[in-house]
Amino acid sequence: MALLEIRGLTKRFLGVTAVDAVDLTVDVGELVSLIGPNGSGKTTLFNCVTGFAAPDAGRVAFRGRDVTGAPAHRIARLGIGRTFQLVRVFPRLNALDNLLTFLQQHQEENVAARLVRTARMRRLEAAAVERAHHLLGTVGLRDRASAPAGSLSYGQRKLLAFAAALMPDPDLLLLDEPAAAVNPTMINQMKEQIRALHRAGKTVLLVEHNMDVVMDISERVVVLDHGQKIAEGPPGAIRRDPRVIEAYFGA
Amino acid sequence: MDDLLEQAVHGLTLGSLYAMVAAGLALMFGVVRLINFAHGEFYMLGGYAFWYAYRELGLPYPVAGLAATGVLSAFGWAYERTVIRTILPRTWHVQLIATLATSITLTNGAILVFGTQPKEVPTRLSSTILEIGGLRIAAQRLVVLIAALLIFAGLEWFVTRSKLGRAMRAMSQNREACAVVGVDVQQIALVTFAISAALAAGAAVLVSPLFNIFPDVGALLTLKAFAAVITGGFGYVKGAIAASFLIGLAESLAAGYVSYAYKDAIAFIVMVLVLLVRPQGLFGRRIGI
Amino acid sequence: MRSARRAFGALALVAVPWIVAAVVPGQERYVLHVLIFTALYAALALSYDLVVGHVGSLSLAHPAFFGIGAYTAALLGTEARWPFAVALPAAIIAAGLAALVIGVPMFRLTEHSFAMGTLGFAVVMQIVATNWVDFTRGPLCVTGIPKPAVGALRVATLPAFYWTALGALALVVLLYRGLTTFRLGRAFHAVRDDETLAAAAAIDPLKYRMLAFAIGGALAGGIGTLYVSYVGVLCPGELAVSLTVNLLVMVFLGGVGSLRGVLIGAAAFTALPEILRMAPTWRMVIYGLLLLVIVIRWPDGVGTMFSKGASTASSEPPPRDGLRRRSRRSNAV
Repeated sequence: MALLEIRGLTKRFLGVTAVDAVDLTVDVGELVSLIGPNGSGKTTLFNCVTGFAAPDAGRVAFRGRDVTGAPAHRIARLGIGRTFQLVRVFPRLNALDNLLTFLQQHQEENVAARLVRTARMRRLEAAAVERAHHLLGTVGLRDRASAPAGSLSYGQRKLLAFAAALMPDPDLLLLDEPAAAVNPTMINQMKEQIRALHRAGKTVLLVEHNMDVVMDISERVVVLDHGQKIAEGPPGAIRRDPRVIEAYFGA
Repeated sequence: MDDLLEQAVHGLTLGSLYAMVAAGLALMFGVVRLINFAHGEFYMLGGYAFWYAYRELGLPYPVAGLAATGVLSAFGWAYERTVIRTILPRTWHVQLIATLATSITLTNGAILVFGTQPKEVPTRLSSTILEIGGLRIAAQRLVVLIAALLIFAGLEWFVTRSKLGRAMRAMSQNREACAVVGVDVQQIALVTFAISAALAAGAAVLVSPLFNIFPDVGALLTLKAFAAVITGGFGYVKGAIAASFLIGLAESLAAGYVSYAYKDAIAFIVMVLVLLVRPQGLFGRRIGI
Repeated sequence: MRSARRAFGALALVAVPWIVAAVVPGQERYVLHVLIFTALYAALALSYDLVVGHVGSLSLAHPAFFGIGAYTAALLGTEARWPFAVALPAAIIAAGLAALVIGVPMFRLTEHSFAMGTLGFAVVMQIVATNWVDFTRGPLCVTGIPKPAVGALRVATLPAFYWTALGALALVVLLYRGLTTFRLGRAFHAVRDDETLAAAAAIDPLKYRMLAFAIGGALAGGIGTLYVSYVGVLCPGELAVSLTVNLLVMVFLGGVGSLRGVLIGAAAFTALPEILRMAPTWRMVIYGLLLLVIVIRWPDGVGTMFSKGASTASSEPPPRDGLRRRSRRSNAV
């Protein structure tokens, strides 16, 4: 069953066609990687899907529901989580609060519930804190729960951002270059985290430059070049695909 | 009909004033990415410097004008080295508050030094009335318009032909790249600021024979210049100039035919209207100056 | 122990009129006057901090909402002879509505444009107040504004006004705390610190900015009402931009986004100049220089220097990866 369906997605910036009529489908439980040379439109595609950019043409459907051009906060609410290429956390909040911030909008029902701290709200809050601690443990940041996120190293922030995106238990997770700018140990950790997600049945779409990571964990690889999809298939096939080699190394 | 034409001429004078002030503001934002809330005070100080040189020291008009412009350039230079350089790497909140604070300090300082009574700086040109095709126009108004156009032409030449000007354009497009290829980013910022201040002072020299100088004159001017910058498309100098003339004409016509009291609100209304219809400004998102 | 100290403190605050009468007889009227002004300004500064400090919208429009509330109450009280109990909520609603209405176009703008747009709005409001003489009496001012009265209870004496102002401040403090803690506080702060990330966390930045802006504006209107009821006279000069500068000084000196900080800042910057009997022009020069120095040296305000958990990354801006808030139309500036 298709969880995410992209049809003919097009996005233009100042005369450049960043994404050119791209079709892409991600089924439930799949782990798909999106690769391509620099400037091929991968992050732009991400932004169009998650509501941070408005597509000029095409259709994005999540669980069969049309979400084309919907604002980012609404798409997040529907169950799509994402991380950013340049890692983003709330530096002034501690790690725990960072995670709590990502869950709260999914727990609210009505105005009254927001204003009055009833026993029910307290229970929800306690459950949220417990989940946050659990996720921090999963990414190995449990002992940094009360540290301000701004004091964490780059790699730790990536893990924190990853945990935060997982807080509302999204059905689809979009990871933008999870292995970028971190040391090999961290890369392995990231790979393990993603694999664990996959085993748990989560659907993951990731953008990545690190070919080892892509080939190692992906079920399927999609290749973009100059905004167009030029190849799609299992990692082994893509590695040998002449069009892909051309795109990366060709003149 | 004559009345309308006369108002239009007044509008062009106003437009020239706003354009010179707005050009400086747009230049600064385009090249250095800074909004200077104290920009109007450069005009005000330029006006007082001109008044002092012309009325108190008795220097001839051109000399007094150049002196005032020179003094303000120097002031802009000094201000850049002290305040601007410090706030440039900070968040825009810091920049805004710092320049707003400067504006308040300068305005009230001017009250303390010069008093609240407006200073009049009439010249022979402002009292000479020309008769052109049935219209009676003060010669000074023509001087303002012609001088403004010459200044803009000069600015355009500078920005497209001179080495420094081209560096400024490059910086407005990609500051990081400039630093990498060895452009002296600090020096460019300094020059940009000095030019901005000179433009504002030049406007004061040209216009103060027609409109008096008083301490509060800068505040409203900053606002209107900013309205022009936004309307014309942020950081796009030519857009700011065009928008300034539009606002000047609108204000003058409104003052004559709608209501004199509310004329100052025109600039703001034009800005809001343009933004509601075209948020990127009249001329869109142009890269560079 | 803490609640005992709090109770004692509250009692001391309430007993101030008698304490003052005992300690500085003959100066009572003046001291109480300063305290009333301080309480009102503190409340106003808190309402401003909601917008500037907690949701991060650098609005320069606060004097306009203060003025709208003040004029609404003043005119309802003098022309229409509405009782205070009705005029106050009317003023609050008027100011809040104005904030909502002006917020719609303003929040389509980003950063600098928003600041300038709100400044423009404030300036235009002052122009309207000055020139719409038929309605607002313009520079002739609205006079004879009645003192607050609810039924038979009239707030006529200085001590009574002091308690009213103190009560209003207490209410604003409670509201401030409620709005800036737990979920709502986290949502506001998320929008302030990184709007893009907030959106990724399913937080609607526009909704929360409008909420803070409208509440801040409404509160400013309410305080404006109390202010004119106390002073009895309302002139267009009250809407001047210098009010924004005063508020910025209070908020930045004390500590943006910090309750204690803003209260200290307000106390310092209302009481001090009154006590020193500074001439207004000199005061503004000093404020300007002070604000300049403070904002450069301590961008988050002096107060937060001393608050616990002040992270070194507190003023860290979000990464420049080109991801900005999408406006409904194409790329706005």
